[in-house]
Amino acid sequence: MDARLRRVNKEIADCKNDKTSNIKIDLIDDSPFHLKGSFPGPEGTPYQGGTFEVDIVIPESYPFQPVKMKFITKVYHPNISSASGAICLDILKDAWSPVLTLKSTLISLQSLLCSPEPNDPQDAEVAKHYTTSKSSFDDTAVYWTQIYAGGPGPQGKKGKGTTMGKEPRDEIAIAGLERAHVEQFEALGFERSKVIDVLRRLNYRGPNVAKLSEDRVVEELLK
Amino acid sequence: MSSDYEISDDDENYYDYDEDMIDGTQDEEEEDGDMYMDTYGDDFKVAPKNKRKPYEIEYESLSQAAVEKLMQEDVEHICGIFGVDGSTAALLLRHMSWNKERLIEKYMDNPSKVLVDAGVTVKEPSSPSAPVRSHSSSNSNSNANNGRRPTRSTSKLIGLASGSKSPKIPTVSPPALRPSKPTRPTPFVCPICFDDSPDLKPLSLDCEHSFCSGCWTAYVSSKINDEAEHCIRCMAEGCALVTPDPFIRALLLVEPTEPVGEPSLQKENVATWARFQELLVRHFVASNPNLKYCPYPSCTNTVSCPGAASKASLATVVPIVSCGRRGFGITEEMSQSQPVGMGLAAKEHKFCFGCPIESDHRPVVCNVAKMWLKKCRDDSETANWIKSNTKECPQCQSTIEKNGGCNHMTCKKCKHDFCWVCMGPWAEHGTAWYSCNRFDEKGSVEARDAQSRSRASLERYLHYYNRWANHEQSAKLSVELYTKTEKKMEDMQITSALTWIEVQFMKKAVEEVEKCRTTLKWTYAMAYYLARGNEKELFEDNQRDLEKAVEDLSELLEQPIEAENIPTLRQKVTDKTVYVQKRNDIVLEDTAMGFLEGRWKWNVAVEGFDEPEKVEF
Repeated sequence: MDARLRRVNKEIADCKNDKTSNIKIDLIDDSPFHLKGSFPGPEGTPYQGGTFEVDIVIPESYPFQPVKMKFITKVYHPNISSASGAICLDILKDAWSPVLTLKSTLISLQSLLCSPEPNDPQDAEVAKHYTTSKSSFDDTAVYWTQIYAGGPGPQGKKGKGTTMGKEPRDEIAIAGLERAHVEQFEALGFERSKVIDVLRRLNYRGPNVAKLSEDRVVEELLK
Repeated sequence: MSSDYEISDDDENYYDYDEDMIDGTQDEEEEDGDMYMDTYGDDFKVAPKNKRKPYEIEYESLSQAAVEKLMQEDVEHICGIFGVDGSTAALLLRHMSWNKERLIEKYMDNPSKVLVDAGVTVKEPSSPSAPVRSHSSSNSNSNANNGRRPTRSTSKLIGLASGSKSPKIPTVSPPALRPSKPTRPTPFVCPICFDDSPDLKPLSLDCEHSFCSGCWTAYVSSKINDEAEHCIRCMAEGCALVTPDPFIRALLLVEPTEPVGEPSLQKENVATWARFQELLVRHFVASNPNLKYCPYPSCTNTVSCPGAASKASLATVVPIVSCGRRGFGITEEMSQSQPVGMGLAAKEHKFCFGCPIESDHRPVVCNVAKMWLKKCRDDSETANWIKSNTKECPQCQSTIEKNGGCNHMTCKKCKHDFCWVCMGPWAEHGTAWYSCNRFDEKGSVEARDAQSRSRASLERYLHYYNRWANHEQSAKLSVELYTKTEKKMEDMQITSALTWIEVQFMKKAVEEVEKCRTTLKWTYAMAYYLARGNEKELFEDNQRDLEKAVEDLSELLEQPIEAENIPTLRQKVTDKTVYVQKRNDIVLEDTAMGFLEGRWKWNVAVEGFDEPEKVEF
């Protein structure tokens, strides 16, 4: 039997037998080389309670070349693209070793959620948000976990409160912005989507708000 | 036979060539070949016996084997000093990018650290037994022992079953996947392919991370073929040990005693091993500024040219070299045993040692050639369009296209009102609305002057560019000319008493034309940047003479051939070829001397030259 196929089959079987790690690997179609992995968001992080799905493609020369992975579930994290789910992680590139398995790689992704590396970002805007205001970042990540990964949402009194349990998705919370800020510029006659777009791009959050003059924002809005 | 014609004596090369040629027809074939090689080689090959022309640089062409020999010398040198075996020395040298001095210095300072960094030995855990490393303790007993541990001699394919190894300092924590060592009898399961058949051959480096030989081979092949990586680390996660050459060799090349595997697979492995050797040579060549790898596809030769190794030298020499091979993808034997016949299409592997331009850019130096190519890429098409469709605003010099409407223009950018016809300010037109009969207004004269200056610079550029492009085009068409000429040569043999070897003058002429067109092409790049003055005028005189000679010869070559004309044609072509060759030499020599003497002044700042005194075109 083809060594690659044998190895992948064994890895899938091992994962099924392992009840403790909570890592799941499923087939997407008939091919054993295109899979879907999933794992729970780690405890004590904004991703807690969510379930994160990962698209797995096994290349021809696996396991001697790294497996290709990207998030299917949208994740708010400095090292994961908020748009495409692409992942910035060394073991998926040059630090790959053939002894790593699908399971161990998924566990590495899980631990990436615990320990973001904002200095080596995949998503620069999210990374800026993280470094500017950690608490605001956490709120946004919790909200994303709630709406995209089936998380429980903000707990206790923490968070902006206004977003709690709101059914239609709150674009302001998704962008990680303050409602008051958005409304302030909306009042000048700009469209909401445009305001959100510009404020997110300018990282209009936390201490940055004081640094950005209203004129500067309006200038951007007029572009 | 045309023994009655004469060739001017001052070109010895050509004279010899022709005489020999006639003699050659009466002698054996072999001598023809030899003679051929000689006359053709002498332009470029740097055999010490040949006199080098001032515009040629001294260089040496090295085959892959010759470079491997150089590497081997370095390796042996290090072996002798450090008392390590060859593959260890090779790994150390590669780790230090073949910088022997730095390696020796670092190694003397702290051998074990260098060995660990180079991936030769495993890192020792900081156990109490290990001495704290410091400069003072680097010569202490234990450290020296570690440094000299003959790691490589033991590392040839150690199987797990190959008996117990001498007690060893524990390695980096092995991954959990590994079967624990004490339970040696348990059957080996390769942690990569999960195969557990009893005939599996487990292999490991000194770190004792064992994997089956099949996985090792697949891994090494993937690294070499897919990633072009010569520094191949152990497969275990985070293990920094590098596989030494004998290990890779044993994986890829099956020993004659062992059962031979699938023939196709075996062939692939042999190719992988060859590729690995090539990667090592490439790394060595890239690390050494005196060497450059031939950029032609699938050519594995290297050129050594110490005269052009430094950046500063590129201001005075144009290091055009040739790796000695011809054609594309032909094997060494073919290109060397068949100098005759294939010559027309099989082009020499000529390239510049100093810059990435993969052709002859003499006489102009690398930096100027680079500037010119960049300008051509950026400007040419745009410049042509701008020239024919736009004018500049007299006030802010914005480029304006008039796409309709009246002659009263208002610049979108600076709001300046002006007249499209005379370029003067609109205000001066007073009541002469929409018609311009004014010419001598001060404002409009000034505006037109500025306009014409800007136009002039464009015109000037296009003058040089068009001539450059023209020669480039002609040189490209030379392939066609080659085939045509070959046909003519055949015809000549049929219609006249001339033998094959006697019609070679045609081929020689075509080759010369192409060579000179390349020179001419680059003289236009050079002239564009040359500052105005006597030197430039002399340069352009030489350029003109060469151009005239080349065009005359080209015309001769295009002429139809009639049987009765052949002797005169041969005479004419031969004379012209000699003349063209001389003119080409003059241009190249004079320019090369000019660089050496620092005679050329530029109208722009060029890297490696003095700033121009004042910009004058």
